[in-house]
Amino acid sequence: MGGQPPSAEGTNIEGESPRADPTIETDEATITDDAELERTLGLTGGLAIGIGTMIGAGIFVFPGLAVGRAGPAAAGSFAIGAVVALLVALPASELATAMPKSGGGYYFISRALGTLAGAVVGLSLWFGLVFATAFYLVGFGYYAVDTLAELGIAVGEGLVIPVAVLFGAGFTVLNVTGTENAAKLQNGIVALLLSILVAFLGYGGLDAVGLVGEPATPERFAPFGAMSVFTTAALVFTSYLGFAQVATVAGEMKDPGRNLPLAMVGSVLTVGLLYVVTIFVATSAFGSERLSTFGETAMVEVGRHYLGTAGAVAIVFGGLLATMSSANASVLSTSRAIYAVSKDALLPRRASRINLRYGTPHVALGMAGGPILVLTATGQVELLAEVASVLHLVMYGLICVALIALRRNEPDWYDPDFRVPGYPVVPALGAVASFVMIGFMQPASQVVGVAIMVATAGWYAYYARDVSLRGEL
Amino acid sequence: MTRVLVPVAILEGEALSPGLTALLEPVDATVLGYHVLPEQTPPDQARLQYEDRATAALEDLVATLETAATSADHRLVFTRDREQTIDRVAAETAADAYAITGASGQVDRLLVALTGDVAVDRIIRFVAALIADREIGVTLFLASDESGRDASAELLETAADSLSAHGIDVETQLAIDVPAFEALLEAAAAHDAVVIGEQAPSLRSLVFGEAAERIATESIAPVLVVRENGSD
Repeated sequence: MGGQPPSAEGTNIEGESPRADPTIETDEATITDDAELERTLGLTGGLAIGIGTMIGAGIFVFPGLAVGRAGPAAAGSFAIGAVVALLVALPASELATAMPKSGGGYYFISRALGTLAGAVVGLSLWFGLVFATAFYLVGFGYYAVDTLAELGIAVGEGLVIPVAVLFGAGFTVLNVTGTENAAKLQNGIVALLLSILVAFLGYGGLDAVGLVGEPATPERFAPFGAMSVFTTAALVFTSYLGFAQVATVAGEMKDPGRNLPLAMVGSVLTVGLLYVVTIFVATSAFGSERLSTFGETAMVEVGRHYLGTAGAVAIVFGGLLATMSSANASVLSTSRAIYAVSKDALLPRRASRINLRYGTPHVALGMAGGPILVLTATGQVELLAEVASVLHLVMYGLICVALIALRRNEPDWYDPDFRVPGYPVVPALGAVASFVMIGFMQPASQVVGVAIMVATAGWYAYYARDVSLRGEL
Repeated sequence: MTRVLVPVAILEGEALSPGLTALLEPVDATVLGYHVLPEQTPPDQARLQYEDRATAALEDLVATLETAATSADHRLVFTRDREQTIDRVAAETAADAYAITGASGQVDRLLVALTGDVAVDRIIRFVAALIADREIGVTLFLASDESGRDASAELLETAADSLSAHGIDVETQLAIDVPAFEALLEAAAAHDAVVIGEQAPSLRSLVFGEAAERIATESIAPVLVVRENGSD
């Protein structure tokens, strides 16, 4: 693994410097001068984080919305998203094995491209995750209301947002006070979800191709034209944000040279395949026009169509679990993102304080939870999803640029265990695809995304202009 | 040289009992200060905040262990998985045994259980090195069913002989056809410290916790667990 990582120096407006102690990375631990940090996350744990974060949105929230925009070709939109995610996951894997540290994309970019790019990406990632979490929570709200409906308590959609906000606050408090390790639970939830989905999609798939049940009525594949496929791909790209969350726990992963690439690429391929099959099965059940009228919880009706009440209940239950696991995983990632920039003196050091009573980073969790609740209250599903994607895509594009910058003039410390195949084509395509994807978003999302990035650049200029994070290239 | 790993939850104020400190006098010791983190807390974040405090506490513990004859050192690990950390550091330091600290005053008599998956002569060699030439007695314990009575008695006899050869006062205790673990717990309560062999994880240990941990909990005495792959 890499020799000496890049150094960091300078001070911010409060006189704090980046805390960059020399470390040695082994397959089992990170060794600093006086302490060791055990790597405890295996491949399964990494896959569970990636899949657990991603699956909630793509399968349980988007099908109705996406099909309403692109018709059956929405399956193509999900496939496009998977390809873009894969083009970024490969370079991200290489960088993560060269710098297996917590912080993920922010860390690579700040070390390879300098402090300004790092600060914009690091702070934008905070907001990107906040938007994504708010989006998952709203999805959760829809499923919670549907659960009540399945139980015979019709409360109407008016309660979606209050429920989402309530649970958002609940997750934040739980994360501050709960010291039980939920990681094993997360593995179980993901395994359970995958079994529900594979059983359901397996049956639905057989039905859809006409082997069981009645043949479906054929319809035009792309009724709204090719352009709609791309704009829909931009909308549903939020379904793929989870692989980058794997990189934020790179410092905790055992045998990172092997497990990081497998977890990132593996989770993208797994969920990408599930998404495409889901859309195919969903549109075979109802036809796109009818499906789109079901909105955020269209999958419940698809479940009912194939397997009756049992199917509907299974999907409602799966949707609750999936959106909950996505939201919770994102709250954790947000707190890690805040820690990473605060460690480098781009935010006040106070932000990474640990609560003495619970041993949890309460300030960072609060800085994640507060804005999440505000955004959740807006209830703007599509806007929340797209802004999250815009902010992540900027990071993804810059990850690819960072890889190219490092490879063009490899510093001594750069020694990744995994090298991206097809260099330089893959990272170049990854960068271009990420930036192009932003171009297909709604103007409102682009404006909000750019405004946030300008604000973060302004914060950097005000607060941490003298901090230097760039490695010697 | 024989080395014992002493894991302590350093930031929770776990300390070494005077009895254990005295017991470990003839052997080298590595104090493993660990801190188990909730999943919300990145290990590095905890390190930045707690490293200095933990290191100071560890240095104090090491100072009490260090004697003229032997050396002691310390490691500090932030982890989410205590077992994994103990296993890794034990392997890296080639420790012959690890200690569960417990509470004890002066140790006059050790209970040595010849159970577990560790070869008997390995346990005996460790006990001999631990006692060295001190006035500490040993009770060898073995549980068996009726059919294994003769073989077990012979095993106990051989083991007792080799300890006596080191000038150690040895008694033996053979528990026949009684629940083995309960008999061991009962015997442990009457001793100041316990030595047992490491056991491979079993269904029983999954449900009730590891044997060594349970003995430590029930008897409150320090327990030394002899590892299968220590130094030779």
